[in-house]
Amino acid sequence: MYRKILAAVNEHVNSEIAARYAMELARAAGSKLYICHVAEKSASAKSIQPAEEAAKRLFHRAREAGIEAESIFDTGDPVKRIGNIVRSERIDVVFAATRRKDIERRFYSGTIARKLSVALPCAVALVRVVHMGKLRPRKILVPLKARINHISEHAYFTAMMATAFDSCVYLFHTARLITKFFHGEVGLSPLEPENGLRKDLARFSECLGKYKVVQEKRLVSGRVGRNISIEAAAKRFDLVIMGASERGLLNSLLKGNPVEDVLRETPCDLIIFKPGHEDKQTAVG
Amino acid sequence: MKISRLPSDEVFRSLVSSGEGLSGEEAARRLSEFGYNEIEPLRRKSLLRKFLEQFTHFLAVLLWIAALMSFLSDFLNPGEGMFSLGIAITAVIFINAVFTFLQEYRAERALEAMKKLLPFRVRVLRDGREKEAAAGEIVPGDVILLEGGDKVPADSRLIDTSCLTLNMAPLTGESEPVVMDHEPAVDDLTEGRNIAFAGTTAVSGSGKAVVFATGMKTEFGRIAHLTSAVETGLSPLQKEIIKVTRIIALIATATGVLFFMAGHFIGRSFWDNFIFAIGIIVANVPEGLLPTVTLSLAMGSQRMAGKMALIKTLTSVETLGSVTVVCTDKTGTLTVNRMEVKTAWVDGKTLDVPTIKREGSHILATAARLCNNARFAEGRYTGDPTEVALLRAYEGSAGIHDERVSEIPFNPERKLMTTVNRLDGRTFAFTKGATEALLPLCSHYVIKGEKTQADEAFGKHVTRAGQELMDKGLRVLSFAYRELPVSAEPAANQEELEKNLVFIGLIGLEDPPRPEVPAALKKCCRAGIRVIMSEREVLFARMTPRHKMRVVSILKDLGERVAVTGDGVNDAPALKMADIGIAMGIAGTDVAREAADMILMDDNFATIVNAIEEGRAVYENIRKFISYIFSSNIPEIIPYIAYVLFSIPLPLTIMQILAVDLGTDMLPALALGAERPSKEIMSRPPRVKKERLLSSGLLARAYLFLGPIEAAAGLFGFFYILRTGGWHAGEFLAPDNTLYLQATTACLTAIIVTQIANVFACRSSRESVFRLGFLTNRLIFAGIAFELALQLFIVYHPFGNMIFGTHPVSLDTWLVLLPFALLLFFLEEFRKFLVRRRNAVHPS
Repeated sequence: MYRKILAAVNEHVNSEIAARYAMELARAAGSKLYICHVAEKSASAKSIQPAEEAAKRLFHRAREAGIEAESIFDTGDPVKRIGNIVRSERIDVVFAATRRKDIERRFYSGTIARKLSVALPCAVALVRVVHMGKLRPRKILVPLKARINHISEHAYFTAMMATAFDSCVYLFHTARLITKFFHGEVGLSPLEPENGLRKDLARFSECLGKYKVVQEKRLVSGRVGRNISIEAAAKRFDLVIMGASERGLLNSLLKGNPVEDVLRETPCDLIIFKPGHEDKQTAVG
Repeated sequence: MKISRLPSDEVFRSLVSSGEGLSGEEAARRLSEFGYNEIEPLRRKSLLRKFLEQFTHFLAVLLWIAALMSFLSDFLNPGEGMFSLGIAITAVIFINAVFTFLQEYRAERALEAMKKLLPFRVRVLRDGREKEAAAGEIVPGDVILLEGGDKVPADSRLIDTSCLTLNMAPLTGESEPVVMDHEPAVDDLTEGRNIAFAGTTAVSGSGKAVVFATGMKTEFGRIAHLTSAVETGLSPLQKEIIKVTRIIALIATATGVLFFMAGHFIGRSFWDNFIFAIGIIVANVPEGLLPTVTLSLAMGSQRMAGKMALIKTLTSVETLGSVTVVCTDKTGTLTVNRMEVKTAWVDGKTLDVPTIKREGSHILATAARLCNNARFAEGRYTGDPTEVALLRAYEGSAGIHDERVSEIPFNPERKLMTTVNRLDGRTFAFTKGATEALLPLCSHYVIKGEKTQADEAFGKHVTRAGQELMDKGLRVLSFAYRELPVSAEPAANQEELEKNLVFIGLIGLEDPPRPEVPAALKKCCRAGIRVIMSEREVLFARMTPRHKMRVVSILKDLGERVAVTGDGVNDAPALKMADIGIAMGIAGTDVAREAADMILMDDNFATIVNAIEEGRAVYENIRKFISYIFSSNIPEIIPYIAYVLFSIPLPLTIMQILAVDLGTDMLPALALGAERPSKEIMSRPPRVKKERLLSSGLLARAYLFLGPIEAAAGLFGFFYILRTGGWHAGEFLAPDNTLYLQATTACLTAIIVTQIANVFACRSSRESVFRLGFLTNRLIFAGIAFELALQLFIVYHPFGNMIFGTHPVSLDTWLVLLPFALLLFFLEEFRKFLVRRRNAVHPS
């Protein structure tokens, strides 16, 4: 499905770590890897140099691993330039690292990560790098909501990442607590999954099965974002892959946003994945 | 691939670093992306939320409803003083909220003050040069340098080591230092010997490491993260208060509805009945209960602070009293945490400490001194506690010229340590370790300086001697030596050095118990509290913090109320999960202290037992003043009922009810809250979980026995004044009529006089006051003095008369009411006598 993968790098080391995930995906899927650095016009030589060095290191590493790779250096508005490259080269998926300052804003409003996620006509994997010691994730936590969008693409991406690192995948769903007037918050028992879950989860699992990915499932109830980060910390997960939020800013402000919660608290690296066809079908919230 | 399994060059490549460390510029960039290397404090409720919660708990909600009903009643039927009541109840809620908040805020501040304010500094390579940096500014990729005494600032992969040992106790609970390595490991990340975790400390040796995780992403941070996930429920007292409040609400509502219907049947109008019902409901609400409970808990917390136990949440004071199991650490809590040499076994005989000192030249003393990494520098000993004890005991026992040539570090698997030393021109290998590990390596033994061939009988003899020392609770180390040829290679291999050893003897060491501990343990035993010692003792051998959490969880599932002590970061989840988490004030980490409910300022087990005793006393005292407060509800309700049902003048006005509930009752009730723990309080088993704070027995005693006597006194006082003033049944009296004002004053005075007797009666539900001793709680007298002073002000001061609608009464009135007080007191003494006699016949 993914023939061309682009990894955006900058002067920060987390973009290099994020690009390594792209490289491993390229190796697993047999794709071509584009390592791209777009320097803003105002960028100083001090920031361009480490970015170019990172791109070179990645390029050599890709070559060593037998991956077809190409480096692209450009200047201008990163979002526009990367958009142009995606269109001209028919890129399938773009990897970009989120910045620490991004998570301080509600749902990345105004950040490059947010703009890439919305503007690019392809799949986007935003990588939050927090732990540099987990080099090859062996346990991947995949939180799923009740109704999963673009199941096959989401499952393909997950399966390829799992294959790349020879990892086990743990499908994880948190049912929201029901609040009753007299009893307060009441958790669902594992036997009471939400109606839509069984079908979508089964389909997702079936898709993973096609790629022979080792998987487990777990259903809990409680606060979604908190449960995910606690599960990741308690069971020592190495990587979390979750779907991009479809909640708008206002909705996030009113109801909260699990993706934002996990972004802030994740104890391991996190990939927020937006499938490639999303912009054609539903608005990204 | 885990970082522990990579060779050094790959580690640098993965972390985009080098042997020269990061450049200052790159470190700054990484700091902006990964943030400061610090553990975020546990998620705590905001101060505003904590304050607001004081207005929304169950009893506060009940008081809000009572206040609203008072305002509604005043709106429907003005001039009855219900508006003032509403204002007073609202004020009670506010004052109580502010007081509770300030108490807990003060405890929080005390905790903050305990945090180490100075950030520690670490040696780091930046731009190829060694420099010092604040631990908080360490970033992934930094190369740090470690040596004995350094604290590890972040999770790091060791790339170079020289006899480096780390104390992992804060993370794993393992007290023995771990020998570290820099070779690629085959273990999992957590077990790798080449990973130095944040929070651990280098004990000896030196090393170089590259940081791969900082702040909350370290193992230390992971545990802090998990701790915040442990949900803490309500304390037993909070649950009981909710139940009490529900019962009060039920009784008040049922009484209101009952009298509403009764009024309907005797033909009163709907609105008259409605206002009457509200009056009954409000009169049933004990407005003074909330502040009295809070003040009582605060006093308990203050007393505990005086005994070196800092309580963070007021309700924890009472929770302590219900504890059934205490899981405690041994080292430092039960013991003084100072290992000492107690005895030695050499030449086939046991020597005491003075003899050992006299015979300091014995080769045993030399071995203990030289096969040792502890140091004495700048006026203090540093190193492993066991080695420090050996050094302290045998200092000065080595030769004039001794020099360490090489060392095979202690290893928990081998249980042995060997050093090669040059001593006055000769070369020796000295080995120490566990007897079972050392004996098989010995071919000879030495007695009075003579070397003898070791045989099986000798082995048994040594084993028996070692067992005898262990039976005395001592930690036993065996020592052996071997003289090496002068030309021996310093780096001779391990097998070569540790063969054909000559057995010297045994040394028994002890970490003595704290002097207060034996008595405290006996107290626990009498009080039916089980004590589980973690560490290598009886029940849970080598219990790590993770096991501690599991033990707490299982005990709670079994219905136990668990107190658990802890100091390490890994203890934090267990501390939070326990009913009472107890952190060490001296040895504890900030994370443990934040997770705990109580902090031991002296790290002493005896303090826990004292605090439990205080907690039990607080619970008993709360029951005492609940009996006292509830008793006065009846003389407040009965006159109101009589007023409605029999069309008599109202015997007690709303403001007078308020004078009792929020005035005269308060200090005597608080004095009951300060009652000393009874002698038998720690001779009884912990109260059972289903025992209610507001039991049917307590309610019956207050509502059906003590209360009716007070109500009879009140009505007697009221009618005594009316009758002597010439009033006839059915005669209307204006609210400002002097006779009427004096009659209500007499009713109020009757309640006060009988409540004075009642405060003595409530000091114990079974024990006679004569047995308790009248003067054993002097605060009672202070409370009564306040009560009387307030009543005299209400009765005889014009300002008091104006506020409470009273009028001065003669001394005769006080005197005619006195018999009711005596009646209440002696009837209660008689009831207690019957209860004691019944208990003596049926002890169950």
